[in-house]
Amino acid sequence: MSEFLIDVRAVHRRYDGGNVKALRGVDLSIRNGEFIAIVGPSGCGKSSLLQLLGALDDPDEGEVLFRSESLRTLADPSGFRAKNIGFVFQSFHLLPTLSAVENVQMPMFEMPWSATERRKRAEALLHSVGLDHRLHHLPRKLSGGERQRVAVARSLANEPQVLLADEPTGNLDSESAAQILELLDEIHGRRGMTLIVVTHDMNVANCAGRIVRMKDGRIIADNSTASPPCGS
Amino acid sequence: MWFITVIFKNLFRRRVRSLLTVVGIAVGVAAVVAMTAIAWGFEKSWTGAYNARGTDLAVTKTASKSPTPQGFDQSVGDELKKLPGVKSVSALLTSFMGIEESPGMVVFGWESGGFVWDHLKLIEGRWPASDQKELVLGTISAELLGKQTGSKVQLDVSEFTVCGIFESAALVENGSLIMALPQMQKLTENVGKVNFFNLRVNPDVDEAGVTALQKTIKEKFAGFNAFRASELASNNTGVQVAKAMGWATSLIALVVGAIGMMNTVFMSVFERMHEIGILLAIGWRRYRILLMILCESLALSLLGGVVGSVIGYLAVIGLQATPMLRGRIEGDLSPQLFLMAFLVALGLGILGGLYPAWRGSRMAPNTALRYE
Repeated sequence: MSEFLIDVRAVHRRYDGGNVKALRGVDLSIRNGEFIAIVGPSGCGKSSLLQLLGALDDPDEGEVLFRSESLRTLADPSGFRAKNIGFVFQSFHLLPTLSAVENVQMPMFEMPWSATERRKRAEALLHSVGLDHRLHHLPRKLSGGERQRVAVARSLANEPQVLLADEPTGNLDSESAAQILELLDEIHGRRGMTLIVVTHDMNVANCAGRIVRMKDGRIIADNSTASPPCGS
Repeated sequence: MWFITVIFKNLFRRRVRSLLTVVGIAVGVAAVVAMTAIAWGFEKSWTGAYNARGTDLAVTKTASKSPTPQGFDQSVGDELKKLPGVKSVSALLTSFMGIEESPGMVVFGWESGGFVWDHLKLIEGRWPASDQKELVLGTISAELLGKQTGSKVQLDVSEFTVCGIFESAALVENGSLIMALPQMQKLTENVGKVNFFNLRVNPDVDEAGVTALQKTIKEKFAGFNAFRASELASNNTGVQVAKAMGWATSLIALVVGAIGMMNTVFMSVFERMHEIGILLAIGWRRYRILLMILCESLALSLLGGVVGSVIGYLAVIGLQATPMLRGRIEGDLSPQLFLMAFLVALGLGILGGLYPAWRGSRMAPNTALRYE
C-alpha cells in the first residue's frame, strides 16, 4: 500500500482529437490531510487535473490512483465520488429549484440515511457555514458568498475524505472570498480533510501547505510552505 | 427531502410545458376511453339483448357475421325444435332501416308467442297482432321518433300503427321497433324467411350439453352455426367495425401522445444537461438519474391518464345525451376500461420517458458540466 492517498502517474489528457494537450505527463503524489493549491495561468491544465482527481474524467495516458487503486478501473465512478470526493465549483453549481437545505441534501441520496437524518445533517452543515437563517432560501435569493457557502456545505454532505475546489473564490468579492477562504481553512484544520484547491488567487494559495505550479500542462514547481494564517 | 420532492419540483418548475404535456396525454387517453367505451358498449348492448331474452343459443347462417344477415327458410325452426335438449325456439327477422327523419333503427319481426317477448315490459297499449300492420316501440325509439300509442309510422312504403310502448333491459331493444314476424316478412319481401332462431335449452342441460348442442347443429344443418350470446355479439361485423375503429383512433391518439411525451422529456433533459452534470459530479449514480427522468415522465403520463379518463367519461356521457346518438350508443364505462386507461398512461410514460432518461443518464459528467 502506497503512503499516498492520491498518486498521479505520468498523466496525459488531450482534447479536440489530440489538438489540445491539456496535461503532458503530470506526476503528483498527495498525502492524506494535505492542503494543496494548484496555481498557474489560464489553460495550464489545472482544472483538467482536478477533474481527473475527482474521477469526472479519464486520462488518455497514465493513471490516477486513490489508495493504490486506479480510478480508471472503477466500476462505479459516481459511487466513488459520492463516498470520497466533495466538489466546490467557481460558479457554485447549485440546483436553482431547490432551497439551500435541499441542495445540501442532494448528495445524501447515495447514503443509507433516512429523510429525517438527511435533513438534520444538512441543517447542521448549513449551521456550520453560518447559514442558519438561509435554510429555505432558493439560490437566487442568496448572495454570491452565501451560495458558495451552501456549495461548501453540500461538498461536505457525505463526509468525504477529499475536497476539490475549482476557483472557489473566483466569482466572489474580496470580503466574501476571504470568508470562504477562512471557511475552507477551518474545514481542513477541523476535519483533517485533504483539500485541493485550483486557484488564481495567491491569497488562497498562500493558505495551503503546498503550492503546485503548472504551466503548459506540466508541473513546473511543487513547494511546501510554512502556511501563514489565511487572509494575511 | 424525499426523492419524489425533487421530481415534483422539476415538473413544477416548467409548469406550462408540464401542463401542455398532461393535456396532450389526456386527449390521447380520453380518445381511448371514449372510443373503447363505445365499442365495448356496442358489444355489451347486443350481448345484453340476448341475455335479457334468455337466449342460450342463436342459430344463423355460418358465413354471416352481420347483425342483420340474409334470410333463410323458416322451416329450419321445426327441425331445431326436435333436437334433444331444446326447450323452445323463437324465429326472428331483423333489419336496420331508416325511419322517417331518423337515420337508422333496428326493426325486429318476432314470432308471436315466442319466448323472446317474455322479457319485455309493456308500458302502454298492447302487443302487435300478426295480421295487422302495427308495431310496438321501445321507450327510446318512441321518444326519438316522437310517437305514442295510436301514432302512425312510415316504414318504406308501408304505414304502421303504433299499438304500444315497451321497455327492455337491453338498450338495443329500447331503441328498436318490434312487429309480428309475418308483417316484417312482408315489409322486407322475405315471406317464409327469418335470419335468426333464438333457442332456449332445457334447465337440466349443463354447459357441456350446450356445447354439444352447438356441435350437433353445425353438423346436422349444413351452412348453419349456433352461437352463444357473447360469441354472436363479438362476431357481429358491426361490433367488429366499431372495435376496429376504436382501436385505430386510439392507436393514433397514443402514438401522438407518446411522441409528445418523448419530445417533452427530451427537451427537459437537454435543457438540464448542466444540472445532470452537477448531479453526477456530486455522486448521483446513473440509475438514479435515469429513475428521476423516468419518474418525471411517469408522473406526467399518470396525471394525463387521470385527467383523460375523466374527460373520456364525460365525453361518453355527453355523446349518449346528444339527440343524434341518444339510444344508439351505450358506453361501457366499466372498471376494466379505466384499468386499461391507467395501463395505457403507464405505457405512454415508460415509452416516452425511457429513451430520454437513458440518454440523460449516459452523459459524461465533465461534458455535461460544460453546458450552461
